[in-house]
Amino acid sequence: MNGYTWDSSVVFSSLPQLMSGLAVTLQLTGICAVIGLVGGFLVCLMAMSRILPLRWIAVIFIELFRCTPALVQIIWIFYCVPFFFGIFMDPFTMAVLALGMNITAFNAEAYRAAIQAIPSSHYDACTALGLSSLKRTIYVILPQAVLLAIPVLLTNTIGLLQQTALVAIVAISDLMYQGKSLATQTYRPIEIYSTVAFIYFILSLPLSQVVGFCEKRLRARLA
Amino acid sequence: MNLATSLSFLYDYRLALFTGLGNTLYFTSLGLAIGLPLGFIVSIIRQSGHPILKAIATTYVEIFRGTPVLVQLFWFFFCLPALLGVDLGNVTSTITTLALYMGAISSESCRAALKSIGAEQRDACIALGLPARVSVPYVILPQTIMRAVPTLLSNCVTLFKESALVSAVGMADLMYQGQMIADSTARPIEILTATALIYFFIAFSVTRIVTYYEQSFLKRLKL
Repeated sequence: MNGYTWDSSVVFSSLPQLMSGLAVTLQLTGICAVIGLVGGFLVCLMAMSRILPLRWIAVIFIELFRCTPALVQIIWIFYCVPFFFGIFMDPFTMAVLALGMNITAFNAEAYRAAIQAIPSSHYDACTALGLSSLKRTIYVILPQAVLLAIPVLLTNTIGLLQQTALVAIVAISDLMYQGKSLATQTYRPIEIYSTVAFIYFILSLPLSQVVGFCEKRLRARLA
Repeated sequence: MNLATSLSFLYDYRLALFTGLGNTLYFTSLGLAIGLPLGFIVSIIRQSGHPILKAIATTYVEIFRGTPVLVQLFWFFFCLPALLGVDLGNVTSTITTLALYMGAISSESCRAALKSIGAEQRDACIALGLPARVSVPYVILPQTIMRAVPTLLSNCVTLFKESALVSAVGMADLMYQGQMIADSTARPIEILTATALIYFFIAFSVTRIVTYYEQSFLKRLKL
């Protein structure tokens, strides 16, 4: 290390502020994850419905949010929504809106892929057994689709946790924002940013282990 | 605010936006050019190799997948120069971060593809008496690449979208230019919408290609 000495006391003295940022990050992640799980399913149903206008709206929504950077979405919503609709929300609500819609689009695709992954023989079997389309959806397709979607949904949630770092750019005091301001205040970027990275990492690691575990169980179940 | 003035306003700033787009594409393509081969090598190291090398590769992948790209960018911008005692330069730091991130995510895609090749393929190679130097390039590798291409392509789209983050460290990419013009002209709606549409147009086209490839690939598998 070229003249730079690691100063652990900086890490400890900055922990309270980082923890308050972490609380905001977790709050954002939690709220958006719930929005995404429910909203994603609804949008997926819309995207697969027989009613054309509903389908178009859902597909356009999904493609718009999947094909633009999350940062662009956040900035766009922060700058343009007040102009367009004349509504002024507090920044946290706007961030929830932006990130929530983003994860909704990705989760909708996850649900859709899961539904499409169900082999057509299951549909044939339902027809052969004379099940109505409602019964088929509820008892045969849905349970399998949700199971199949779990790993991707969890991966998307990990992605969401990392996306929340973007709200630091629009000055919401999340973990990344607190890290940034501490790094400039203390002139100790290495300690601060490494700690911030470590916190994000520690949060994502158990989640990704859970994903691996789910995938293994699923594979064993399906084999 | 009518459409004609909006369009002429956008037309005035087209050069700035295109310069930004050029930089975005430059960072993305260099990140891809380094990241894709890196990902392939890392996946092979993780699959079979020295336990220490394997541990290093796994740690690398987990760290880059487990932390937000924004944190990675800040770390490389502020911490690496201080640690190494040399100034890497903005462009080098940006490309290094993007390439390492791409390497981490694409190594996972390659690994999944390697794993998805059925054991019967390897058994068949043994039954036919093919040595590894024949079976790997002629049986395993072509199938791996064919299976990995859709995910690798969508990783490319991900990197393209993530590259918008470099605007946060002051690199003049499309997002940065868009935000600069929006701030200096106080007309965010036109510029930010145009920026979003440019991102959308490029990402959407690539996504379509991926879908097309996947569909023709699925047809091929069923043959």
